[in-house]
Amino acid sequence: MAAVTLKGLTKKFGEAAAVDRLDLDIGDGEFVSLLGPSGCGKTTTLRLLAGFLQPDGGEIRVDQKVVSSASVLIPPERRNMSMIFQSYAVWPHMTVFQNVAYGLKLKKLPGGEIAKKVERMLRLVRLEALAVRYPGELSGGQQQRVALARALVVEPQILLLDEPLSNLDANLREEMRFEIRRLHEEFRITTVYVTHDQAEAMVTSDRIAVMHQGRIVQLGAPEEIFDRPRTRFVAEFIGKTNILRGKLENGRSVALGDGLKLQVVAADNLAPGKEVFVCLRPHSVRLTPSAEEAEAGRAKGMNLFDGVVQRRVYFGDANDYIVELPAQRLNLRVVAPPTQRYEAGQKIFALADPQQCVLVGEE
Amino acid sequence: MKHLVAIVLVALAALSTSSSHAQDAAMVEAARKEGKVVWYTSLAIPSSTALAHYFMSKYKGIEVIVNRNGSQRVLQIVMSEAGASIKNVDVIHTSDAGHFVLLKGKGLLAQYSPKAAEVFPAGFKDPAGYFYGMRATLSAIAYNPRVINEKDAPKTWKDVLDPKWRGKEVTAHPGYSGIIMTHVLALVKQYGWEYFQELAKNKLHIVQSANDPAQVVASGERPLGVNGAEYFYYKTMKQGNPIKIVYPKEGVPLVVSPTAIAKDAPHPNAARLFTEFILSKENQQILADKEGLYTGHPEVTYPKDKPMLKDLKLWPVDAEELEKRNAELKKRFTEFFGA
Amino acid sequence: MSIPGTRVAEWVAEARGLGFKRFDPTLPVWIAAALFVIFLMLLPLGAIFTTSAYTEKGLSLGNYVEVFTDPAYLKAIWNSLIISFWVGVIAVAVGSLLGWLVTRTDLPFKRAVRALVMASFVTPPFLGAFAWMLLAGPNAGLLNNWYRSAFGSETALVNIFTIEGLIFVMALYSFPYVFSMIANVCELISSDLEDAANILGANKWKIALTITLPLTAPALIGGFIVAFLHSLSLFGAPAILGLPAGIHTITTQIWAFFQYPPRLDLAAAFSVPLLIATVGLIALQKKLLGRRGYSTVGGKGGQKRLLKLGYLRWPAFLLVAAILSLSVFLPYGILLKAALSKAWAMPLTADNFTLGNFSFTFFEYSDTRNAIVNTFKLGILTATAGTLLATLLAYITNRQLLRGARYLSFFVLAPLVIPGIVLAVGLFIAYTRPPIVLYGTIWIMFVAFLTKEMPIGFSQTESTFKTIHPELEDATRIIGANRLRALKDVTVPLARSGLIAAWSFIFIGVIRELSASILLFTPSSKVVSVVIFDLKEEGQIGAIAVLGILLLAVSFLIILSVQWLAGREFFAGSRG
Repeated sequence: MAAVTLKGLTKKFGEAAAVDRLDLDIGDGEFVSLLGPSGCGKTTTLRLLAGFLQPDGGEIRVDQKVVSSASVLIPPERRNMSMIFQSYAVWPHMTVFQNVAYGLKLKKLPGGEIAKKVERMLRLVRLEALAVRYPGELSGGQQQRVALARALVVEPQILLLDEPLSNLDANLREEMRFEIRRLHEEFRITTVYVTHDQAEAMVTSDRIAVMHQGRIVQLGAPEEIFDRPRTRFVAEFIGKTNILRGKLENGRSVALGDGLKLQVVAADNLAPGKEVFVCLRPHSVRLTPSAEEAEAGRAKGMNLFDGVVQRRVYFGDANDYIVELPAQRLNLRVVAPPTQRYEAGQKIFALADPQQCVLVGEE
Repeated sequence: MKHLVAIVLVALAALSTSSSHAQDAAMVEAARKEGKVVWYTSLAIPSSTALAHYFMSKYKGIEVIVNRNGSQRVLQIVMSEAGASIKNVDVIHTSDAGHFVLLKGKGLLAQYSPKAAEVFPAGFKDPAGYFYGMRATLSAIAYNPRVINEKDAPKTWKDVLDPKWRGKEVTAHPGYSGIIMTHVLALVKQYGWEYFQELAKNKLHIVQSANDPAQVVASGERPLGVNGAEYFYYKTMKQGNPIKIVYPKEGVPLVVSPTAIAKDAPHPNAARLFTEFILSKENQQILADKEGLYTGHPEVTYPKDKPMLKDLKLWPVDAEELEKRNAELKKRFTEFFGA
Repeated sequence: MSIPGTRVAEWVAEARGLGFKRFDPTLPVWIAAALFVIFLMLLPLGAIFTTSAYTEKGLSLGNYVEVFTDPAYLKAIWNSLIISFWVGVIAVAVGSLLGWLVTRTDLPFKRAVRALVMASFVTPPFLGAFAWMLLAGPNAGLLNNWYRSAFGSETALVNIFTIEGLIFVMALYSFPYVFSMIANVCELISSDLEDAANILGANKWKIALTITLPLTAPALIGGFIVAFLHSLSLFGAPAILGLPAGIHTITTQIWAFFQYPPRLDLAAAFSVPLLIATVGLIALQKKLLGRRGYSTVGGKGGQKRLLKLGYLRWPAFLLVAAILSLSVFLPYGILLKAALSKAWAMPLTADNFTLGNFSFTFFEYSDTRNAIVNTFKLGILTATAGTLLATLLAYITNRQLLRGARYLSFFVLAPLVIPGIVLAVGLFIAYTRPPIVLYGTIWIMFVAFLTKEMPIGFSQTESTFKTIHPELEDATRIIGANRLRALKDVTVPLARSGLIAAWSFIFIGVIRELSASILLFTPSSKVVSVVIFDLKEEGQIGAIAVLGILLLAVSFLIILSVQWLAGREFFAGSRG
């Protein structure tokens, strides 16, 4: 277990900075995800952590000790870390047992102890029956579990995972997400997890660092990231969202134009008159055809829109609607339970809690 | 007696040249119509290309296609082509007299008596008129004077057996060269196979052609050649390379290299013209002056720095014996020397 | 051949089986191509087997008995085995070291190294042997002279006319095969496999030993087999360096059987075990490398990270440069010197300088002029016909046009399994007597070259076609073009660079071929390699050097043109 600090970390490829003065503090035993689209620098950051790349600026400390900087580079084999790769990287010429035992052999542990540890770990990942098989005979999911076992058996200070589930099919991915979280709670190893899949990040992490163009744009617990995105980018990257544009009238009200006003979550340090964006999640909007319900909602302080259903798409577990708000020439995307069926052309009312209307930065 | 006959023949030849001029012109005309003559020869490349040039400059319009290879290879190709009914060759010339006994026996040669050969001695003519000695040379010993002192140099055939020459000698191969085939037969008749058995102990460098030792000796790669074509040693020496030739007093193998016309020659007239040319006094003199060769022509004169044939003890070999023992000579030589 | 009626019935059945409702008119083309190739391969092999099994007494094993009880012949076999074994070992050691350095480390000047390895590949081994004869003859060899004058010694540093010398030279021109095999495999190994070991605690040497080496093991064994077989079939180098020392190999012995009086029956009997051994080893090699599992196990997304050599960077480069100077710089240098000197062993002073060798070779000696013409004629003819045939055949096997298309590729690739000289023995027997007499013309050489070089053209066209999606042709055919049209209008233009590469591989293979030419030539059909061999037997060093330089110059010119035209680098990472 160890705490990791990244300070001002910079890595350039040519002129472009893949990682740009990045700061991050990871607590001992914490699970942090680096989440972002491809090219945002998350994998580069991970490889800098592992020691495969040397920073151009800034530093990485593990428990206060500098392991990477422009002038210092402790090689990967001496960092006491483990890594799991997108391609699994299990060695095809060794059996499952030999794969998992490799790191322990390097530590020169006695054979009996190695066997015990390996068997225990294989049981933990439920592969004990396959110990003498070769990776070529295993499925993708099984290979990834071998990689997990291999990484954990050496009891590393820090565990690094580079999009480990990208090559698995959807069902397996879900299962493995929980597995990874479960193992984390069992061993409590400081973990850094790189992914572009926000569902993975949400399920597994204590905190998520959303990255964009080499920088962290928001760092926080999953709920915080989802409910209170700080920028437009974060809002759009994490889950579906509606972005409404308007002028801030005072601390709590945004004029969307054509007379419609939106009550929003308080925004303290923004001056009135400023142009702002409001993030409103499709799940947070309630649709009703009944005018009484609509009035009742408004009385309680909800934002009310009236509009017409433009399109309905049925997903089985939800209905995805586009509602046109003619007064504002806006289209609102709404996700409703499968039982709420409204047809195209139907007049409808949309209610949104101000607490779900969040001001976000331009970014 | 031999000389008297020769003089008489020369006189006759001189007398008959005038009447044969008309005949000559007809042959030249016919040869020109054929346009080329294909010559399979074992005469060294520089010499054979030079000879071809002399012919072509004298008889414009008739191309000489020179195909040069070791005597044994020439025979192999002639036999292979004959077996496949390929009619390509006009004139055949190697240094293995045994070949011509064989070819005559198989009916592959044309009978033709060139006027030029009328003056040749018996040893240079097939009595039945199928082949004639175009040139003669010796197999001699040669050494590099920059590496070996004259007083240390071998003087006799047996001298090269001395173990002090181990790793310093080069030999050519009877499996390739007619000259060497003749050499081996001559020495086997003199000293038996024990000679070569002994010689092999000196770990010789083996080359194929009788002309190759000249280059090996001159470069110093192996400074002593235990056999080799004397004419080529001589030529190489005249070009300024460090070579000295030894003509052992106890005897020197004489190699007479016959020439013949193929029975199914595609260009018979050109073949005859070419044969006349190479056996003519004019050309034979060129062979003696420029190529270091001996000839059968009695009127040819030789360079002063070469011994005359009559001053050497010669070991000629019988063509029939060469033919009969061809396979045996090759096999046993290979046995002793490895390849 | 079967009755025409059944043939047509088969065709129709075939056509139906392929889902065609009507008879595909282009089918005869494919069938003709396939039959031609099968005939090409089977005839010489059949000739060898039948000739070896017949003596004067009819069908018997007498020839085999004669060949395998004679100690001289057995020694030749033993020599070949020893030489090929060591060549294989050295070629693997050198080829894999270079392959690994070039693909997985930060060795400097990689492009130059690859180019020089290719130069070694293009150099005909007999030419290399000839150059090394000039360099390392114990008494006149240049290197030995330098050694003697530098150290005042009496003896030579090296004697090239030994089995060790022969192994050395043959290994120098065999290692490029192993290099390219190892380089290809190394490129496919994802860095992740090494990184995973790295982070678990392995340093770069441990990684190389426990991860990289085992993963490349099948390729190493495969490379050994290729180098072994390649050296087994060489003729020129053993003839030039072995015969002077009395060393016979299988190939030189077969050649000796052709001396007058020729013993074709013994030559055939001698060839059969060589053939069987080759087939067995190739099968083994395919099995080993067929296990693609090694490189493709795992998910997508592997990276390639170069290993930093650190302080060993420049020493490694010097080592590589030293190896390449042995195969390229020194031999090419001495060839140039010999071409320009009157006496090759003497220093190149103004006195010794001459252009006479060039004028002799190109203008005075008719043999060389004819040989150059023949070589180019044959090169262009074979390369063009070979590429055409290889294209048709690759199309058949790739698009499964005929039932049993898989077996067809076996026939096409079969000649890889036949040493050149053995092929020549078969062709000689088959085509020297009626009904088909090709001997004495360049056509027998054409057949030999076509048979021998087509596999390399085929493997090139085959891998090229794999990259072109069949749907592109299907789109053309839906509009109404037949298969041949689609092939001509769509596939061939797309495959352009692969086809050009195939053409040039075949061309270069033809112009440097010796082991088959040496048995099949006649004076009117000589080629440059044979003339070089002839000249060597005459000691005409200058002329040989000139011809050798000509061969090399043409080969390099072709390769550079191909690279410029097709925009691809040979031995660059991805093949095909």
